[in-house]
Amino acid sequence: MFELAIKNILFYKGRSITTFLLSYISATFFVIYVAFLDGSHISMLQNSLKVYTGSIQIYQKDYRDEGGYDYLIYNNQKIFNILDKTEGIEAYTSRVETFGIVSTQENSSAMMLSGVNFEKEANISELKNALIEGVYNSYDNCLYMGVDLAKKLDLSLNDEVSFVGSAIESSFVADIFKVCGIFRTGMYEFDANSAFLNRNYFDTLFYAQNTSSYIVVKAKDLNKNDALASNIRSHLSENEKLYTWQELMSAMVEAMKVDSIFGYISMALLFFVIFFVILIYGFINISARIKEFGTLKSIGISDRQIDTLLFLEIFIISIFALILAGLSGGYVAYYYELHPIVIEGMSEIYKDYGIISDEIPTSFNLYTIFCNVGLILFLNLLSIVYPIYYVRQYSPIEAMRHV
Amino acid sequence: MYKTIFSLALKNALLRKTRALLLIFMIASSMSFMLSLEGLYNGMTKNMIDMTLRSDTGEVSIYAKDYRLKQEIKYAIKEAQSIKDQLQHHPSITSVITRLKVSGLGASATKSYPVDLIGINLIEEESFGEFSAFVKEGNLDLGKNGCIVGKQLAKDLKLRLNAKLVFSTQDSSNTLQSKLLRVKAIVHTTNINIDNKAIFIPKKVLSEFIGVDPALATQIAIRTQDKDLQEELRLRYRKLEVLNLSEINPMLAQMKEMMVVFNAISFSIVMGVVFIGILGVMYVSILERIREFGIMLAVGYSYTNIQIQVIFEAVFLALLGFLLGSIFSLASLYYLSHYGLDLSEFSDGLQSFGMSSIIYGDIQPEYFLRTFYAIIFASVLSVFLPLRTIKKLNPVDVIKADS
Repeated sequence: MFELAIKNILFYKGRSITTFLLSYISATFFVIYVAFLDGSHISMLQNSLKVYTGSIQIYQKDYRDEGGYDYLIYNNQKIFNILDKTEGIEAYTSRVETFGIVSTQENSSAMMLSGVNFEKEANISELKNALIEGVYNSYDNCLYMGVDLAKKLDLSLNDEVSFVGSAIESSFVADIFKVCGIFRTGMYEFDANSAFLNRNYFDTLFYAQNTSSYIVVKAKDLNKNDALASNIRSHLSENEKLYTWQELMSAMVEAMKVDSIFGYISMALLFFVIFFVILIYGFINISARIKEFGTLKSIGISDRQIDTLLFLEIFIISIFALILAGLSGGYVAYYYELHPIVIEGMSEIYKDYGIISDEIPTSFNLYTIFCNVGLILFLNLLSIVYPIYYVRQYSPIEAMRHV
Repeated sequence: MYKTIFSLALKNALLRKTRALLLIFMIASSMSFMLSLEGLYNGMTKNMIDMTLRSDTGEVSIYAKDYRLKQEIKYAIKEAQSIKDQLQHHPSITSVITRLKVSGLGASATKSYPVDLIGINLIEEESFGEFSAFVKEGNLDLGKNGCIVGKQLAKDLKLRLNAKLVFSTQDSSNTLQSKLLRVKAIVHTTNINIDNKAIFIPKKVLSEFIGVDPALATQIAIRTQDKDLQEELRLRYRKLEVLNLSEINPMLAQMKEMMVVFNAISFSIVMGVVFIGILGVMYVSILERIREFGIMLAVGYSYTNIQIQVIFEAVFLALLGFLLGSIFSLASLYYLSHYGLDLSEFSDGLQSFGMSSIIYGDIQPEYFLRTFYAIIFASVLSVFLPLRTIKKLNPVDVIKADS
């Protein structure tokens, strides 16, 4: 059967070449398309994740729902002790976030002021790498300020600003800060609204000792983040709540899902048309060979064997096309994962939407490539079902008399 | 003579019913799938642009130089009221409004966020962009301290109707001022700059609060259908920035362009594959009937007559496909434009990218017209290769060879 299938493939060149080319082109296109789709999503999520979010955050219950100082963690040390005993954590730190008004003599703006441990923060987020001017590890009343906030307030290094807000026990806080460092993460909202103060000074000013808005954790292996989250969660009390990065960035994850759905629907259109063309070419080919099948049946070849023959023909053509497509599409995916396409100015245009890089990388994932190619193979095999059914309708005599 | 040719063409086109039906169904289903997607994508972009035009920019917006960069009240348009009065009498302007915007800190009982306080005239906003249609909760009767809050901001600040909200900012004399507001309505515009951080109050109230002339505005927004108006206003107000939607929101403009490119690529690919499908069917159909064409040539038919017959066969099949496809497409687009595609499950994700959770399709006659031309072109083109085979025929040889 296999030899006969090969002979038929070589004999009916038109059908073989068309099926081969359509399968090859659609599969290659699909592999590359999905690689770019997944790559851009992974890049967006990971950029956001590593800039500031971390892979896990631990809150006092209701902080994220209700907010405010009533729902702060008032015993950092207790959670630190749990984290110290947990395997799989690369680093952790606590942050206190508060909002207030920051003013110069001429301008003012709302600002999110975070009290952070700069040394620990460097192991968790990209804040240190985001430094563009001045110093990162600032001290006393030194502010590490977002570049867009500095621009908005017309501030340069060593300029002074006043800050008005409220302390943890709800008293009034006012102080003069000096701009010692300016950072750019590329996340526009973040750079336009945030500034950081070293934790010791912040704690004294805001009465925030051993307190935090949340504790942020960086997993050693992001792929094992869910297991790590479960492990930590099992040690937390009912009053503490843990969120993984998927939960923290649920809106972005959802948006990616929608984008992927639309991407797959768009690709489905191409497959749909190609499926029909392969079906039509297969059908034309088979309907022209009815006499041949009649002869085969009359010499004792069963319907099942003819089904196998037709199945083998499409399978062999498809498998060759798809191996080649997997290799060429995979190579493109691999190449652009290492050397992402750069579109100058893209992050500027899409800054409101959290795009922080001009790079569009692909994601080279063998499992995804295998699934994509497998889907095309499935559609190709499906396209032979109707022609097989059509051939089965003929008895050997009818088939041999077929014109 | 032509009547006979057409009659022959019709009979031959449907001679192999299964093959003809497969081809017709392929054209119809591919077309309806493609047009539904195009309508959906265009509807999505159109909706985003329409919401931004109505809630914010209009077709043309005027700002003072540097305002968009600095976003400070000192860069407001001082003669805004007189410009508005002039523009109201312009024949091609359907609506013109002025807005005043200041940034500051919005604080609810539990949370604080950087927000924009926007002073508007509700009556004018209604004729400008049907503002009341954005209201999701409450009503526009603001009373003394009433305000309207963007949907996402209300969610972030945990604000409900009648909740209190304090807005703090620097006034025109650089003194920090706070204002107590009460939420009277919550709006959802799908414009992320409004939904995420806008609080609306009457412009007069805002002018008084920050101590500026009521004639002052940070933005003059204009609704018009006149494509040349922007240039005219640029020349007239050289000291101001006169911008259109693409300049104010390049992301939307790029999205629109990307949709056009994407639709064009999808269209070309689908039509290319449809062409291959028709080509296969017509080629086999002609090769099967070589003897018939030989006889026709022998009894005095000219090559042109056969050419007309074959072209007509292909066009006839394509037209049937187009008609069936038009019915499917109309039904699908009608459904999408009236009921939309409900993606409420992903509403947070869609909202973060400024999209509505129900995406409505868009029906345009040009979709059908373009597809009609492409299908006719593909069908005519598909018979040229088989016709070349007929042209080389010698009637006597053909009849001898097949008999």
